[in-house]
Amino acid sequence: MAAGFRILKRQEQPAWRSCLIVLAAVSLSLLLGLLLLAIQGTPPLTGFKVLLQGAFGSRWALEDCLIKAIPIFLCSLGVAIAFRLRIWNIGAEGQFALGAVGATWIALSFPGLPKFFLLPLMVLMACLAGGFWGMIPALLRQRAGTNEIIVTLMMNYIAILFLDFLVYGAWRDVSGFPMTAPFPPGAVIGTMGSSSVHWGLTHCLVLGLLVWIFFRFTRWGFEIKASGDSVRAARYAGIPYDRLVVLVMVLSGALAGWSGFLEASASLNRLQPSIMAGYGFTAIVVAWLARLNPLNIAISSFLLAGLRVGVEHLQLDLRVPAAFGSILEGLILMTVLAGGFFMRYRIVPRSRS
Amino acid sequence: MTNPVIGDQQMPATHPVIRLDRLSKSFGSVQANKDISLEIHRGSVLALLGENGAGKSTLMSMLAGQLQPDSGHIYLDGAPVEFTTTDKALAAGIGMVYQHFKLVEAMTVAENILLGQPRGFWLGKASMGRTVRRLAEAYGMHVKPDALVADLSMGEKQQVEILKLLYRQSSILIFDEPTAVLTPAEADSLFATMRRMTGQGKAIVFISHKLEEVLSIADTIAILKRGEVIDRISAASIPSASELARRMVGRPVLLQVNKKPVPTRQVVLKVAGLQGGGLRGIDFELRQGEILGLVGVAGNGQKPLVESLCGLRRPRQGTIRLLGQDWKHFFSRQTWEKTLSYVPEDRQGLATCPSLDLLDNFLLTTRGGFVRGPWLQKEPARARAEKLLIEFDIRPPDLQTFAWQLSGGNLQKLVLAREFFRKPRLIVAEQPTQGLDIAAAEDVWNLLLQAREQAGILLVTGDLVEALALSDRIGVLFNGSLAGMIERDDPKGIEQIPLMMAGLESEASSSAP
Repeated sequence: MAAGFRILKRQEQPAWRSCLIVLAAVSLSLLLGLLLLAIQGTPPLTGFKVLLQGAFGSRWALEDCLIKAIPIFLCSLGVAIAFRLRIWNIGAEGQFALGAVGATWIALSFPGLPKFFLLPLMVLMACLAGGFWGMIPALLRQRAGTNEIIVTLMMNYIAILFLDFLVYGAWRDVSGFPMTAPFPPGAVIGTMGSSSVHWGLTHCLVLGLLVWIFFRFTRWGFEIKASGDSVRAARYAGIPYDRLVVLVMVLSGALAGWSGFLEASASLNRLQPSIMAGYGFTAIVVAWLARLNPLNIAISSFLLAGLRVGVEHLQLDLRVPAAFGSILEGLILMTVLAGGFFMRYRIVPRSRS
Repeated sequence: MTNPVIGDQQMPATHPVIRLDRLSKSFGSVQANKDISLEIHRGSVLALLGENGAGKSTLMSMLAGQLQPDSGHIYLDGAPVEFTTTDKALAAGIGMVYQHFKLVEAMTVAENILLGQPRGFWLGKASMGRTVRRLAEAYGMHVKPDALVADLSMGEKQQVEILKLLYRQSSILIFDEPTAVLTPAEADSLFATMRRMTGQGKAIVFISHKLEEVLSIADTIAILKRGEVIDRISAASIPSASELARRMVGRPVLLQVNKKPVPTRQVVLKVAGLQGGGLRGIDFELRQGEILGLVGVAGNGQKPLVESLCGLRRPRQGTIRLLGQDWKHFFSRQTWEKTLSYVPEDRQGLATCPSLDLLDNFLLTTRGGFVRGPWLQKEPARARAEKLLIEFDIRPPDLQTFAWQLSGGNLQKLVLAREFFRKPRLIVAEQPTQGLDIAAAEDVWNLLLQAREQAGILLVTGDLVEALALSDRIGVLFNGSLAGMIERDDPKGIEQIPLMMAGLESEASSSAP
C-alpha cells in the first residue's frame, strides 16, 4: 500500500480561515496569471507593476475603477440574493441587457419629461424588464423542472441579441451607427462634483444597505437563509420555498436591470452594443469572492473593476491581449471555488500503523 | 440443512472466527452499545434482531472498522485486533453489504467488482468476465458480468455487492437488512446464496427485523434492545415466530410515569380511508386530551402516514381533517401557534437547519410569533430562546452554536422546546426519545403527558414500552394498515400487540399469501 492521504471533514469553520483561504486562492490565481504573462513574453514583474499602477496609481484610475465597480456591484448584489437560496442565477448579463433596453425605451419614448419624473420611470422599467427576465427561469424551474443554470445562461444570449436587434434596427440613430440617439438631458444621471464618477454610486450605497437589511431583519430574508441551508427543513417549517425561488430571481433580475439602466444613462448616455462588457459574468466571481456578503461584495467589486482597468493598461503599454483579464477572472473563480473544499475538509497523511 | 464441514449446527464446536468482548460505544451521553459480547462462527448465520436505534448498526460499524469502540475488544481467530479503518477490516476478511448499494451505475458488473482491486484493471476483459461468472455460479447467482449495473434489478445489484466481497475473499459477511429492497423471489434466492456461503465455511451476520426470515435462515439469534444484547438464542430452540416476537418486543412492562387522566374533548385529527404510497386504508380519530400510540416495526407505513399528516406529502386517496379543517385548507393557511407541531425522527435534516445557529433554528417554526409587518424581531426571540435553553437544559446554552454542533439528545430537546413553545393543539411525535438517555427520555415523556391537556398527541414509536407508558390507545401498524386498535386498559389486547406487529394474527386469519 502506497502512502496516501485521507480527507476528513472539518469540525469548525472559523472566519479567519475562510479569509486566509480566499486570500491564498486569489494569490495563487495572480501567480498563475504572472506565469501566463511570462509565457507570453512579457516580463511578469513589470506586468504586475503596470497592472497595479494602471488600476490604483492615480486619481483618474481610481475613479475609473469606481465607475466600473458600480454595475459589477449591482449585478453581484442581485446574483448573491439568488445564490443565498442556492438558486444559481448565471443570467445577470441578460437581465442587465434587458434593464438597459427597458430604460432606453422610456428615455426614447418620453424625451420631454422632466428629470425627476423620467429617471424614476426609467429605473422602474429597467427593474421590471430585468425582473421579468429573471422570473422566466424561476417559473420554468417550477413548472417544467428545468435547470436554472442552463436556462439563465441561454437567456443571456437571447437578451444580448435582442439588444443588438434593436440598436441595429428600430432604434438606430440617424447617424447610421449601430447605436440609439443620445438620451435627452432629462434621462442622464450626472457626475458628482468635479469627479467623473456618476451619482449611481449613491444608488449602490442605498441598495446595498437595503439588501443587507432585507437579509438581516426581514422575515423573507430569514426564510431565504433557512431554505438555502436545507430545503427539506424549509418545507417542514411551512416556508413557501417555490414562491421564494420566484422572489429571489425577480429581485436578482431587477438589480441587474437597475445596473443596466445606470450604464445606459450615466456611462454611455445612449444604448449601444458595447454596453455588454461582461459585468454580469464578473458579478458571479465577485459574489463568490465576497461569500455573498454585501459589504464584501462592494470591496470585491472594486478590486475586480481594478483588474479590468489594470488590464486595459497592460494592453496599451505592454500589448498584452485583452483576453488576459477574462482569463485572470476565470482563474480567480476557479481557485476560490476550489478553496471552498479546504474550508469544509482537511487533508491528513494516512497513518500506516 | 446439514453441513459436513461444520458439524453440529446448534452447538458449534469450533472456536469462533470473531469474538466481540464487552464492546461499548457512546455518543455523548447516549450509550449506543453497552458491554456487547457475541461470537461469530464459521459456516453459520448469526441474526441480529432489534428495532431501529437498538444499536445494531453501531455494533456492525465497529466490526467493519467505521467506528472505534470506547472499550472492549474484537478477537479475530483468538487474537485481538483493532480495526481503525475499513481497509483493515476488509483485509481481515470482514465485508458488509450495505442497504444502499455503492455501485457505479454506468459500469458493467465485472468492472464494478474489479474496481479498486489491486491489479484488477490489468486483467483482460474476457478473463474479467470469466472470473466473475465462475464466482457467481459457485454461489448460485445469475447476474451477467457484462450487464450494465444501471439496467439491473435491486436483487441483481445486491448480487454484485455480494460478488465484490466474495471476490475479495471476505470470510465474514455482514448483511444490513438485505431483504428490505427485494421481492419475495429475490429474497429466496438470496437465502440460497447465503446457505452456499455458509456451506463454504463463511460466517454471516444478518441484520433484520423480519421475524420469519430470521427464523428461516439464522442459526443463532441475538436480540438487541437499547444498546444491549437482551437475549441470545439458538434458532432451533424457538418454536414459532410469535415466541420470537414476544422475546423481541419484551414483556409488556409498565413504565411508571405520573399520568393523571385528562378528559378528552373535540376531535383534532380524523383520518379516513387513507391510501397510496404504501398505505392500504387507514382510519382513526384523535381527540384533544389523549395520546394515541402508533406502534409497528419500521417500514410498515409510518413514513407515508406521518408525512401525509404533516403536510409533506399530498394524500392520494382518502381524507385527513386536522383541527376541523380539510388537509388542503389547513396547510395552505398555517398559523404558527395553537396548531400542529411535528417532532420528526430526522432531527438533523428535517427539523433543523444544520448550518444555522440555535436562534435561527428556534425561529424556524416560531417565526410567525416574532413578526411585525415585514420585520422579524430577533431581540424578543433571543430572550425567549435563551430562557428555553435553560429551561430545557440544552447544552451548550449558547444561541450562537450551530445546530450541527449539538449532540442528538440536545438537538431533540431544542426541537421539543421549540415545538412546545408553539402551544400545539395536535402533536405528531415520531420516535421522540430515540437516542436519548433515560433521564432525558423521562423528561420528554412528562412533557408529552403535560401537553396532552391542550393537545391530541399521535405518538409514532417502535418502542412498545414507551407506547404503553404514555398512550391511552395503541394502534398497531402492519403492512400499511392498522392491524388493531387497543385500549390501554385491555390487558388481553396488549398481549396481542407483539403478534400484530409481526403480522401473525392477520396471517392466521387469512391463508392467502
